[in-house]
Amino acid sequence: MKHWTEKDFTEWMYGLKEEDPHVAGCAECRGELERLKLERGRTIALPEVSHDFLASQRRSIYQRLGKPISNWHPMRWGISVAALVVVILSVTLNTWKSTPAISDEQLFSDLATMEQSNEPKAIAPIHKFFEE
Amino acid sequence: MADRLEASLGAETSTREFSSWMLSEQRRVFLLCRRMLQDVSEADSATQDTFLKAWQALNRSESKELDDPGKWLTRIAVNTCLDKLRSQRWQFWRKRPSPEDESMILEFARATNPNAEDQVFAGQIGRRLEQALEKLSLRQRAAFTLRHYEDRSLAEIAEILGLDIGTVKVHLFRATEKLREELHDLYFREQGRK
Repeated sequence: MKHWTEKDFTEWMYGLKEEDPHVAGCAECRGELERLKLERGRTIALPEVSHDFLASQRRSIYQRLGKPISNWHPMRWGISVAALVVVILSVTLNTWKSTPAISDEQLFSDLATMEQSNEPKAIAPIHKFFEE
Repeated sequence: MADRLEASLGAETSTREFSSWMLSEQRRVFLLCRRMLQDVSEADSATQDTFLKAWQALNRSESKELDDPGKWLTRIAVNTCLDKLRSQRWQFWRKRPSPEDESMILEFARATNPNAEDQVFAGQIGRRLEQALEKLSLRQRAAFTLRHYEDRSLAEIAEILGLDIGTVKVHLFRATEKLREELHDLYFREQGRK
């Protein structure tokens, strides 16, 4: 059987590939597996966290114990912006759609015409059919 | 510490027990949050929120015994980080902290042993890998972080993330594909040098 490739070793490191009979019997591949484990251990062990920072963090936690956690919805900014857009759009559309206001003079004039006329105003369009 | 806490769960957890447990888990949780969030200040906030949520859950009257308090705390930390990452997507104006600020908090291993050069090199690749996590989706990042840095089994990752093992495998497979270059330098640089 062939030796494992770089891809095989990487997949094995992340649990995506099982050891096969070749690796069990091949000293070279087994040695490589051990080396990779050590390599990863060396990288992940590097950062140390400052003791002062951790102590300060603990003090903050103790101070917050018993107080409620401010837990806004994670998408708060998105929701706020969307709500604002909806409000602006609805105001704009309402203004655009609303019929223009008529003046008092125009209203009184219309009312006077309706009063003087002995036919309902709605009949006017029907008259137009017979005007020709 | 975790055993003592485990034994007392179900009844109210005392502040002293909680403090000693927090002391034993704090660094691990902070580093997990920092790796997921790539930001010391956000990781600080996430770590605090994680312990506060744990405290509140432990003091709820209906709290049950936990098989593995460490895994339970990890789940809280990962979910807290995922919430913060989702929230960050909207905060495109946020500034990243400077490397100088981070070095005040994170002390990278000093090069004092015979393999100092190797350690420094491994440290550089390690930091490059951490930065490359930004290429991953949120779930991929969580799965990769738990596997690579915490050495969790796929079953544990599945339990922590609330996914099935097959889905975790898919996330890990995609993560390793996206990080191929960094992982090559991390694991196989020696072969490249020869």
